[in-house]
Amino acid sequence: MKNTIRIERAIKDITQADLASLINVSRQTINTIESNRYVPSTILALKIARVFGKPVEEIFTLEEGD
Amino acid sequence: MKPNFLFPHWTRYLGWVLVFAHIPVMLLGKYYGLAGDHSNDSQLFNGPHIIFIGTALLMAVGLFLVAFSRERIEDEQIAQLRLDSLRWAVFVNFIVLVLCLVFSNDEHHILLMNLWVPLLFFIIRFQWKLFQNNRLLKKDGQL
Repeated sequence: MKNTIRIERAIKDITQADLASLINVSRQTINTIESNRYVPSTILALKIARVFGKPVEEIFTLEEGD
Repeated sequence: MKPNFLFPHWTRYLGWVLVFAHIPVMLLGKYYGLAGDHSNDSQLFNGPHIIFIGTALLMAVGLFLVAFSRERIEDEQIAQLRLDSLRWAVFVNFIVLVLCLVFSNDEHHILLMNLWVPLLFFIIRFQWKLFQNNRLLKKDGQL
C-alpha cells in the first residue's frame, strides 16, 4: 500500500512530530508508515485522513500485489 | 482502541534491577556453598533450594517486567512489534527446546532454560526493532 502522507504533510507544513501528536501515536509510527514499513489500522488511517481533511483513498492507495 | 494490559513504564527499570540483582545473590550463594545441586534432595525449602528459588524468581520476574512494561508511547505499531517479537521468541524457544531434547538428557537445565529463553529473546528482538526504528527516524530527520 502506498501513501501520500509526506506530500500532504508538506502541503499542510507540519512535521512528523506534529502529525504524531495530533493523532496520539509516536513519531516512529508516522515514520514507519511514510516509509511503507508499517500498514496502519483502519482507525489510524481514518484519523490521518481527518487531519488532512481528505478521504482515506486520496492518501492511501493499493499497490499491485496487495 | 483499548490498550492491552501492560505494566507501567517504570517497572522496566525495576525489572533490570531485579535481573542484575540476581547475579550477586547467586554468586554469594555459590561462594558460601549454599547454592548447588539440590535436584537429588527430597526435602523442599532447604538452604540450596531457597537460594535457588530466590535467584530464579528474581531473574524470571525481572525479565517478565522488562518484557511486559509499557513503552513511553504505546501505540498500534508498537503492539505489532510486540506480537511479531513474541512470535519469533516462541519459534526460537521451540527450536532450542527440540534441539535440547534431542542432544541432551539434562531435563532440569532444559526446564530452567525454557524459563528465560523466550523472554530474553523477546526482549532482545523487540528492543532491536525499536532501536532500528529510532535510527531510521534520526536518519530521516537529517534529510
